[in-house]
Amino acid sequence: MNSRVLTIVLGVGLAFTVVFFGWSVSPRLPGDQQGYEPAQPIAYSHRLHAGELQIGCLYCHFGAEKSRHAGIPPAGVCMNCHRFVIASLGAIRAEHEQADQQKRPPQTVVSPELEKLYAAMGLDKNLQPDPSKPTNPIAWVQVHKLPDFAYFDHRAHVNAGLECQRCHGPVETMERVRQVEDLSMGWCVNCHREVDQTGVAGKAVEASIDCDTCHY
Amino acid sequence: MAGDHSHRYWKSLEERNALVESPAAAEDEFPESLEFATGSIGRRQFLKAAGFTFVGAVLTGCQRAPVEKAIPYLVKPEEVIPGLAYFYASTCGGCSAGCGLLVKNRDGRPIKLEGNPEHPLSKGGLCATGQASILGLYDSRRILHPLREGKEATWEQVDRDILDKLEGIRREGRAVRFLSDSISSPTTLATLEAFLGRFPNARHVVYDPLSCSAILDAYEQTHGMRLLPHFRFEMAEVIASFDADFLATWIAPVEYTAGYQAARRLEATPPQFSYHVQFEPRMSLTGSKADQRIRVAPQELGLVVTHLAAMLASLAGAPFPAEGIEQPAVPRQALQEVAQRLWEAKGRSLVVCGSQDVSTQVLCNFINHLLSSYSNTIDLALPSRQRRGNDRELQSLLEELHGGKIAALFISGVNPVYDLPDGNQLAPLLQQVPLVVSLDGKPNETTELAHYVCPNHHSLESWGDQEPVSGVVGLSQPCMQPLGNTRALLESLAAWTGTPKSAYDILRESWQSRIFPRQTKESSFQAFWDRSVQDGFAKLEGTRATAVRPFAAGVVHPILSAGALGEGEFALVLYPKVGILDGRHAENPWLQELPDPITKVTWDNYACLSPAAAAALRVSAGDVVRLESGPATGNGQKGLELPVVVQPGQHDQVVAVALGYGSKATERFAGMGPQWIEGKSTVGETGRVGVSVAPWLRLVDGALQYWRTPVKLQPTGRHLALASTQTYGGIRVPPQLATPGAERRPVIQETALASYLDDVRAGKQWEAEEHEDLWAQDHPYTGHRWAMAIDLNACTGCSACVIACQVENNVPVVGKDEVRRRRVMHWIRIDRYYAGDGADVEVAHQPMLCQHCENAPCETVCPVLATVHNAEGLNQQIYNRCVGTRYCSNNCPYKVRRFNWFNYPHEDRLENLVLNPDVTVRSRGIMEKCSFCVQRIQEAKIEAKRKGEPLRDGAIKTACQQSCPAGAIVVGDRNDPNSLVSQLLRSSRRYHVLQEINVRPSIGYLKLVRHRLEAREEKRDG
Repeated sequence: MNSRVLTIVLGVGLAFTVVFFGWSVSPRLPGDQQGYEPAQPIAYSHRLHAGELQIGCLYCHFGAEKSRHAGIPPAGVCMNCHRFVIASLGAIRAEHEQADQQKRPPQTVVSPELEKLYAAMGLDKNLQPDPSKPTNPIAWVQVHKLPDFAYFDHRAHVNAGLECQRCHGPVETMERVRQVEDLSMGWCVNCHREVDQTGVAGKAVEASIDCDTCHY
Repeated sequence: MAGDHSHRYWKSLEERNALVESPAAAEDEFPESLEFATGSIGRRQFLKAAGFTFVGAVLTGCQRAPVEKAIPYLVKPEEVIPGLAYFYASTCGGCSAGCGLLVKNRDGRPIKLEGNPEHPLSKGGLCATGQASILGLYDSRRILHPLREGKEATWEQVDRDILDKLEGIRREGRAVRFLSDSISSPTTLATLEAFLGRFPNARHVVYDPLSCSAILDAYEQTHGMRLLPHFRFEMAEVIASFDADFLATWIAPVEYTAGYQAARRLEATPPQFSYHVQFEPRMSLTGSKADQRIRVAPQELGLVVTHLAAMLASLAGAPFPAEGIEQPAVPRQALQEVAQRLWEAKGRSLVVCGSQDVSTQVLCNFINHLLSSYSNTIDLALPSRQRRGNDRELQSLLEELHGGKIAALFISGVNPVYDLPDGNQLAPLLQQVPLVVSLDGKPNETTELAHYVCPNHHSLESWGDQEPVSGVVGLSQPCMQPLGNTRALLESLAAWTGTPKSAYDILRESWQSRIFPRQTKESSFQAFWDRSVQDGFAKLEGTRATAVRPFAAGVVHPILSAGALGEGEFALVLYPKVGILDGRHAENPWLQELPDPITKVTWDNYACLSPAAAAALRVSAGDVVRLESGPATGNGQKGLELPVVVQPGQHDQVVAVALGYGSKATERFAGMGPQWIEGKSTVGETGRVGVSVAPWLRLVDGALQYWRTPVKLQPTGRHLALASTQTYGGIRVPPQLATPGAERRPVIQETALASYLDDVRAGKQWEAEEHEDLWAQDHPYTGHRWAMAIDLNACTGCSACVIACQVENNVPVVGKDEVRRRRVMHWIRIDRYYAGDGADVEVAHQPMLCQHCENAPCETVCPVLATVHNAEGLNQQIYNRCVGTRYCSNNCPYKVRRFNWFNYPHEDRLENLVLNPDVTVRSRGIMEKCSFCVQRIQEAKIEAKRKGEPLRDGAIKTACQQSCPAGAIVVGDRNDPNSLVSQLLRSSRRYHVLQEINVRPSIGYLKLVRHRLEAREEKRDG
């Protein structure tokens, strides 16, 4: 009798464990980072830049046309605009209103996120290089990452006319970048099979499904 | 076809003997002994290993994907795009030959050196040493800051000290000496002159550890000018070489190989094929390519040259005192034939000599004079500047040192304590010199003794120039920021002259004042400079010809006799080995693991003996013998113990040992290779790799001599296992697999020149037949179809491709013990075959790599489809699928697959910077093999698509093809009938190795064609 109870208890426990882990760990392959959305050292918003302001992807990720890596833009690229744009319009207006109320000259407003950029570049208050300040490249957290044995080439895809969103999802709507697709090999190969039939942007393409297209 | 024909070629003497005794054993495809079955692993050791494995497996399973950072530039340099490779033209600093380079830079660091195809001398080739020299850049054991009395110091401190001491020396008028190897850089020489000019008694003393001093001395006698001529092998139809290993180690092997090959083009109309006869004591790489080899002991060389000179003098009707000359040890008939051939090709023949005996060299000059070689095959007007060493001045420097007359000694580019015969006596002498400054960046025996070490940059870190041949000036540019606090030699010299300047400024000013006036093409210096930096070299049309005196016949004296050797006495020959040379790159693991092209031994030097000599001493390969010299050697050493290698084709009274081993730099290899229970150390008992034989050199009569007599040999009864790759991968057709008649077809096919000229199909031993296929022909190859052609005629076996492949494809170094266990990882090997009876052998070199078979046997046995065919004819190896069953390797008929038994990381973590980011670094348990440099194929295809252009023939060059000085390897698209590879594969000389097993390889070999006497030919090729 005792042993039967024990068996039932153990059986229920086992079933519970299986169900519990089944729920908590979604059924995905090792290394699948779909949905990965890490915090970045600077809260850069793609929604604002690519969505609202309509800045083209290749303006910052200029490597995508020419190289295998699209590349994270150097801080110097940010400075092309942020030499002049140092805070949001709302923040500047608020400061002006406050200054008016307090009858004082308005202060320069610098966005706290952009402060991080200027600090990384070692700039002084007037956004001029200050030799006494250290410079530190910004360590962004990589979101889309392929294993070391897979060689993906951006320029082959971009020049074939593929849209960035096809793999990266609607980045222009994201406040913080999230990995939309699972970037698994099956997902790559399916697309390669498909576009061989359908073409990309109305053009025929040769998307090879040979292993050594990506693995060497 | 004669029945005995098939096994004409053999790889080792064991194989040849086995073929005679039991053919079945010789055909054993897997000669590995099962070490575990008989080995010494006990139960406890097994449990330990198993426990570790289990824990390791558990821990590996606990890993989570780490957060990775992507760190961009703050402000990106204009020209850099991450992920793209840039090529900068420069000049190789691996030796004094000064070959042109294209340095491949990725993400701010050089990762590969390629030959510069535009370079007028090296023409795109780059030797093994040059290829490997990039690893020296990432050597964390380099001296990366100035040293004062062995301790780290600042440049200011060091400069102040040196200048203080020099000021005192200058005031007292005491002697300052600058000791270096050959410097061909016009800028360095001028800067050095300015520095030494400040002292009343200062001299630049030049010596080369691989000296050509006697050649220069001979020209001083015969032509009134101490110079090294520029040899033009491309113009020579008949070449006689007396112990000059010009295809491997002599002066400028890359240039000579290209030239030699240019005179051997069978496909040209009319076919060109130079005749090359080699007189030498040992089997050299050059000898292995010779059409005729005559074995001569080193002490007899002068006598043989005298006889040849006498024969040619009588043909030319020139006076030559021929009385009283001893008979030569070589057949007069053969010598007469050589003389006749040379004479018939008068003006198109060339005689070179590697001897360090001035009278022998004078006789060679006399022969060349009789043959009208000057201004034809030998250029004296625009001479070479690659070797300028003067051993007489070296000798007087050593005398001054002994006399305590030197107050300041600067040492750059040489390691006299190691290089010189009495090097160990130098240590106390150097201690007596008030100021010893070393300018070397590598720690060695000499830098240890220097008061100050002012380390020079690596040649890839600094500006510089070289003028290897008058009128061709190579420019070096820095390809990365210096890794340490080092300083260019030019800057050090300028600082001590009192005019501190950057190397760039010094170089530019020197080019403006010295180089620019010598050219005529550009009118503005800036344009000339820009073009030179872009090209990596400048050809100076306005270089003034060197004025030499007409040949002075009066200095020619016959050599009347050769020293005889007694019974059981040997002549010791000391030779430089491909890659290692004089030991200047001994710290480079790639070069240490590069199999010697002839003996195929790695990680050691050894005593080469002829089969007859080995039989007489009752020793065989690996048995340790003791060499004993009659008179004591330079350091008072009387004996030397070395393992034996039995070398077919060597002179019976010669024992040959390689230089460049046993240096302090090799102590770093103590921890080389996987450290496991059964692992054995890469270094020997002395803690170093090999044994130094420099003390056995002789510095006599103003020339370093690379041989000595008499030497006696004594077996010690000990045995040392040599790490040889000689018997790796036996290729033979198992009779049951071959079609009737084809099973005994050899993998090397050849014919004689006369037969070839009669019928270009001569020597074809087996016609390809259409076979019934087990496999469906389901590879349509609608796009590209990659194929390779390898010309066995062109291949010299120099092994540049092996290192090129290693650098390009992140091929690891495994260490001596692993090589012994047949685990060398090279993707391309060069199989060396002998033919003949052991005394005189013919040699064939065959590069062997993955054949990318259409019906690949490896593909059918892989249980996880890790090796599959692609649509362009490549046999792909997919590392992330491989589970390491090794079935593919078992089934590979060519034995070209390599298995990672361990993780083989770089022993120095800084060296990881040399890894090619475009190729996966394979880990333990993975099979790998040649991929036809698929990363280069993909890159070229994508770039062509990006530009919207068709992929042009020649846009894809594999690493092996790029480096080959002889142009023996061609890769291309077989589906394009006009591509070079298609043309070569249609050649009548083309055959496939093991064609009979119908695996349909993508690599075609072009048959060897040999100059051979017709009578022998008939018998052989039936």
